[in-house]
Amino acid sequence: MLKNYFSSSRQIALTALMILPFLGFAQTKRTGKVVDETAQRSLPGVSVVVKGTGNGTVTDDDGNFSIVVADSDTLVFSFIGYQTYKQRVGSTTNFSIALREDATALDEVVVVGYGTSTKKELTGATTKVKGENITKLNIPRMDQALQGQVAGVSINTNSGSPGGSSNIRIRGLSTFGDNDPLILVDGIVYDSEGLNALNPADIESINVLKDATAGIYGVRAANGVILIETKKGKANSKPQFEFSGYYGIQQTSNRLDLLNATEYAVVKNEAFANGNAPLPFANTALGKGTDWQDEVFQTAPIQNYNLTISGGSDRTTYSVGGSYFSQDGIVGGDKANFERYNARVNISSELSKKLTLNSIFLYTHEKRDILPENGIGSVLYNTVNAFPTEPVRQEDGTYSYLEEVSDIINPIAQMENTFNTSMVNKFVGKEELAYKINEHFTFTNRINYNYALVDGKVFSPLVWYGPGKAQNTAANANLDPTIVEIADSVFIERGASVYEARDTYIDFTYEGFVNYEQVFNKDHTVKGTLGASVFRREGEGLNATAYNIPNNSIEFADISANQAPGGFLNNAGSFQFEERLLSAFLRAEYGYKKKYLFSAIVRRDGSSKFGENNRYGFFPTFSGAWIISEEPFYSVKAIDFAKLRASWGVSGNDQIQNFAYRALLNGEGVYVFDDVITQGVAIGRASNPDLKWESTRQFNIGLDLTVLEHFDLSANYFVKNTYDLLFQPDVSGVLGSYGAGGFPPIINAGDVSNTGVELEVGYFTDPSRELRFSANYNVTFLNNKVTRTPEGIEFLPGAQFGVGGNVATRFEEGFPIGYFIGYETDGVFQSQQEIDDAPVTQAGAKPGDFRFVDQNGDGKISFSDDSDQTMIGSPIPEFTMGLNLTFNYKGFDLSTNIYAALGHEIIRNYERQQPYANQLNYVINRWTGTGSTDEFPRLTTGSTRNTVFSDYFVEDGSFVRMRNIQLGYTFPRKWMQYASFSSLRVYVAANNLLTITGYQGYDPDIGSASALSAGVDYGFYPQARTVMVGFNLKF
Amino acid sequence: MKRPVLYIAAIITLLISFSACEKYLDLEPQYTQDAENFFENPSDYERALIGAYDLLQSAFLTSWIGEIASDNSIAGGESVTDTEGLHEIDEMRHDAVNTELRNIFRWNYAGVTRANYILEHRDNIDFEGKETILAEASFLRAYYYFELVKYFGAVPLVVDRRLGATEVTEVDRAPVSEVYAQIEADLQYASEILDWTNPVKGRVTKGAALSLLGKAYLYQDKFDLAAQTLDRVINEGPYSLFGDYAGLWTVDNENNSETVFDVEYSGLEGGGYGCLICLEGNAAPGFNGIRQYEGPIYGDGNSYNLPTQDLYDFFPSTDPRRDITVLDIEAFIAAQPNPAAITYAEGGGGHTGFYNNKYIKRKAELGLPDNDLTSPLNYKAIRYADVLLMAAEAHNRKPAANDAQALIYVNMVRDRVNVTPIASGGSQLTQDIWKERRLELSGEGLRFFDLVRTGEAANEIDGFVSNKHELFPIPQVEIDLAGGNWNQNPNY
Repeated sequence: MLKNYFSSSRQIALTALMILPFLGFAQTKRTGKVVDETAQRSLPGVSVVVKGTGNGTVTDDDGNFSIVVADSDTLVFSFIGYQTYKQRVGSTTNFSIALREDATALDEVVVVGYGTSTKKELTGATTKVKGENITKLNIPRMDQALQGQVAGVSINTNSGSPGGSSNIRIRGLSTFGDNDPLILVDGIVYDSEGLNALNPADIESINVLKDATAGIYGVRAANGVILIETKKGKANSKPQFEFSGYYGIQQTSNRLDLLNATEYAVVKNEAFANGNAPLPFANTALGKGTDWQDEVFQTAPIQNYNLTISGGSDRTTYSVGGSYFSQDGIVGGDKANFERYNARVNISSELSKKLTLNSIFLYTHEKRDILPENGIGSVLYNTVNAFPTEPVRQEDGTYSYLEEVSDIINPIAQMENTFNTSMVNKFVGKEELAYKINEHFTFTNRINYNYALVDGKVFSPLVWYGPGKAQNTAANANLDPTIVEIADSVFIERGASVYEARDTYIDFTYEGFVNYEQVFNKDHTVKGTLGASVFRREGEGLNATAYNIPNNSIEFADISANQAPGGFLNNAGSFQFEERLLSAFLRAEYGYKKKYLFSAIVRRDGSSKFGENNRYGFFPTFSGAWIISEEPFYSVKAIDFAKLRASWGVSGNDQIQNFAYRALLNGEGVYVFDDVITQGVAIGRASNPDLKWESTRQFNIGLDLTVLEHFDLSANYFVKNTYDLLFQPDVSGVLGSYGAGGFPPIINAGDVSNTGVELEVGYFTDPSRELRFSANYNVTFLNNKVTRTPEGIEFLPGAQFGVGGNVATRFEEGFPIGYFIGYETDGVFQSQQEIDDAPVTQAGAKPGDFRFVDQNGDGKISFSDDSDQTMIGSPIPEFTMGLNLTFNYKGFDLSTNIYAALGHEIIRNYERQQPYANQLNYVINRWTGTGSTDEFPRLTTGSTRNTVFSDYFVEDGSFVRMRNIQLGYTFPRKWMQYASFSSLRVYVAANNLLTITGYQGYDPDIGSASALSAGVDYGFYPQARTVMVGFNLKF
Repeated sequence: MKRPVLYIAAIITLLISFSACEKYLDLEPQYTQDAENFFENPSDYERALIGAYDLLQSAFLTSWIGEIASDNSIAGGESVTDTEGLHEIDEMRHDAVNTELRNIFRWNYAGVTRANYILEHRDNIDFEGKETILAEASFLRAYYYFELVKYFGAVPLVVDRRLGATEVTEVDRAPVSEVYAQIEADLQYASEILDWTNPVKGRVTKGAALSLLGKAYLYQDKFDLAAQTLDRVINEGPYSLFGDYAGLWTVDNENNSETVFDVEYSGLEGGGYGCLICLEGNAAPGFNGIRQYEGPIYGDGNSYNLPTQDLYDFFPSTDPRRDITVLDIEAFIAAQPNPAAITYAEGGGGHTGFYNNKYIKRKAELGLPDNDLTSPLNYKAIRYADVLLMAAEAHNRKPAANDAQALIYVNMVRDRVNVTPIASGGSQLTQDIWKERRLELSGEGLRFFDLVRTGEAANEIDGFVSNKHELFPIPQVEIDLAGGNWNQNPNY
């Protein structure tokens, strides 16, 4: 008993001792719940400690906790990856704690290809963008949303139409060929053309590998690598439902200042008079006339809804989602509709202690209707050039013909008669088994695949746009079919036609790699990755056109309905291709005391695209970093973290056409035997077994700083030289390429250099403040230059100015890719005397004509060759910048995203140089007599050199655009509990609300997939200005 | 630690097996025949052979230069800058930048390459008739190399293979003797396989191969071999001189008994000036034709390649070959029923009053548009009279000269046009044979190379510099494109 007594008395004593210090305070049990602030997901395992003591607890699976504390205590909540949060207990009995993810944490995980690193330990120039920064913009394409978010990454838009694509250019243009970066979604190769299929709401993060460390992807890395991670579930969390959506109204962000009917009549009369032609308008008081832009532009809806369910047990996590997106066009409405359905399943499961299965499946169905856009003959090109004196409809109700300009058609009729739909069904997936061999080694095996079915259908009804129009499919205004002679004296009718196509693309990648990590003697960290990859991509397509669709109606627009007599006019085509890649890669990393970091990468790629003498490429990369702030001698207090990085490496671009190394039998091998012309074969394009990839050597030096705990700063300087661009220059006659129909082989020759400086600065206020503010700014300076073209090729011609005009853009040594070449103007001749006295002879010049600059100083302006042409612009911005601002106050959030591209030019190429075509109203400032203007030339329908490509048609393309601004409100959590929601945010937002630019065209953010036609504006389909409301609900 | 080592070993094995699996990357384009998966059936060989014949049609240019470079004719044309390269050659001021010489270089190598393409794949399959195809290809390769060695001397020798774009920098100019050795080997092979006759008009025969072989020997001063070889053509071959000398240069009389080897043309395909090598017609007659001519018999032309007074005067007035070879335009017009109605223009590139009357555009021989370019008239690359004269020269000049045999051959040629036989011997006979060659073969593109071969060029051609103009310069751009390692021909 004694023993018992003693023991129990000791218990009492101990209890007393513990309670004693608290006597006199209100010690009560408090409960609470901890969630993730952004996801509003419960957080299990959060440490809850009473400040200044060791007392504490952790949250359970649902994020709940209970603890006995006094009012005067302070609770400290901490969890890896989140900012530590402190709260005084006070009288609160039920805590509702939201932890913020530690956005600036240096140990944030960055995906680097076949592995991960942390921001602190990175040796390369890699930028990570969080999915929320993409999703928040409500932009349907991930690449468009990436604009202005990452220094060194330039995005421009190929078309503002729904479903229109963008170009991603990492650190400038390196080639006149394919400049698209390699895009990997969860490690799966994702075609940049197919980015429409990716739902931005599914993106967890985007990691952009900009420098040579992308070389882990070898022959595909020269244009940079973008690694996209999709959303995944978190372990030990209850199912979390997230439902979000928005609805918006779009309208055009800009209209051109075109002449109205009265101005048009006055201006045209003068032009005709100057051309010694009869005046077209006896009466010029014609009022405003038709505003074709009013007729063509409309407001159009845009909407998007997403549902995501995610969560996980201790062994399995999942994230499942679905979404719907639909957008009509501001030109064409539902004739330019883009619609997308996405489904996504993302499951990760620990099959056993050592074996994990990661399974990803993305499905997309998209449908796009498209009108002719961004070219001569596009709807907007016709709109700009249609003249205001013509009504939309003639008196009998049929569409007007705009007869005076033969190649301009009525844009309203054009939209009505265009039926062009494409559909994509795309399956993307990954099955990955990761085997943890022991604490140091993980062996990953995976199979990735893409499967896309692309269907297209174009219905071409019988249409009559007016006499002499090339787009007519009917023989006359009665829509009679045209009659064609298919054989000697055999005539048949050619009615409405339908074109249908199905293309199938499939690729498979097998990858196997081992990751190794071990720390020796605490200070030496060694990491390694060794792996191999096999890639195969195939495509095939079948297409056909069938004529004489009944009733001239879309209702019968199917090949099966065709009534072509004997099927004579119908035709079919097909294609197929296959390409393969075989690769091995090794990355070795060493870190000493997390202070000195070194990394070396080698990759060997074999590709079926290259000639037999160069089938394998070897790509090494070396990088290193020095974390200065870890040094014992480091004592700069204001700078909390300082890291110096450098990298150098070689990578390749294999995006060249298949079998370019092989000789083709497309030569002319014809001889006369027995007086009969006899067909044989001959090699056309010669072979080049030495053909290989374009190769890029890149050097990067960078500095990362954290200043005063609130500023993050990252700067990079890079030199990126690309060699071995593909050309077809003259070769030695000994190769035998110069028989009839012969062409030289494609060879590697030609170099491009990009140098630049990138700067990213982030600022954020203390997260515990009530008014929180964060800003991210980035700026890129870029200098692009062609450094070599092969012997015998002075330049490659690019886009043409006007219809049948000069070549306006070139790829030429010493100039930026796609620079503009033309005549430089030096004012306007004011009088005949001035022309006669001019030291330079300019044939045909009259008063009111441009005075061109004699570039070669030979005393005359030469219009027959390029000796007096000079560089008059470049489509590549000197610098681009992006700014993201966010304010939070209580439940309110206000954010904006601003993008600017400065120091580049655009060619105004949407003006049809025809006597009757409408014009922009700047022509009102035309030269009308001595002293009237020294800027705008006279107008004339007669012969003039004022319409040759000169700097008059080149405009400054600089712009600053507020791409998104939004105001949101998150309802207080306690309100939500009544509705059993975990959170609800509503917002209003506007995209492209404001654009500051001097450019006269529709949209200065104008791109082209072809490097040599960038900055050439054919009447660009502008990005819409959108006002929308949205919500984000979690439960 | 045992198991990770195993796994890494497995991976490394995997990598090695990938490398072994290089065939994985050997893809062929599907459903397409390109140059790399050809020669799978006999018709592939036949079609490729037609492609190799195609370059023979570049003969229009070779025949011009053979005349214009010599004392036989001037360049002519619309102006002195019309086909400027020919004017430079005419005046012996050509240098390494000359479009026409570059064309000769490129086109003959295209021919070589197309022949090599077949011979490269000689062992792909076996079928009846393959030998004949290979023999014809060998002949064609020899023909093209013979043109190249005549023009440029030492040239890169590529045999039975195609070169990659960078491989050409590793190929040097082969000595003239090596080029000739290849030509001889190819022609010997061809002559062994081929028959004396081929039912298809235009095909290479044994006679063509032996005649070209004899010519190649003659060009190397191998007179014994030349005599033996050409004797075979004369004794064993089916050839005889065609009775009507004037009728030799008409389409109607093609494929006559004197034809040893013709380059075949057709007027049934149109063409344009943009690509002369693409033509199926013979460009020479139209270019040689009378500028803006309106009148009987002849068609309109471009006044190229105009015979000189020197050539006209070379003929004894009694030799009927003069007026058949050279058209004296004014004399011709004066002889017509209504001379006043006949008009023509003098080209700015020069005017001699004479036109090449063998290869000239005649009204009866028009081709499809552009008619200036599409004459169906064949180029007589080797005709029997040439064989006889070459054989005569070989017999006369061989170490154990056989002037008697030489005289028989020469007089066969003279007899056909009813001019008196000659009876000289020794070096006088050599001179007479050379004279006879000019009388018989002028206008046919042989003169310049005969003068060079016989060492007479410096005596006969104004501006000809010995030890320089025997060879044309290798086009400088071709030297550059081949890596800049070749030496230029002497004194250019």
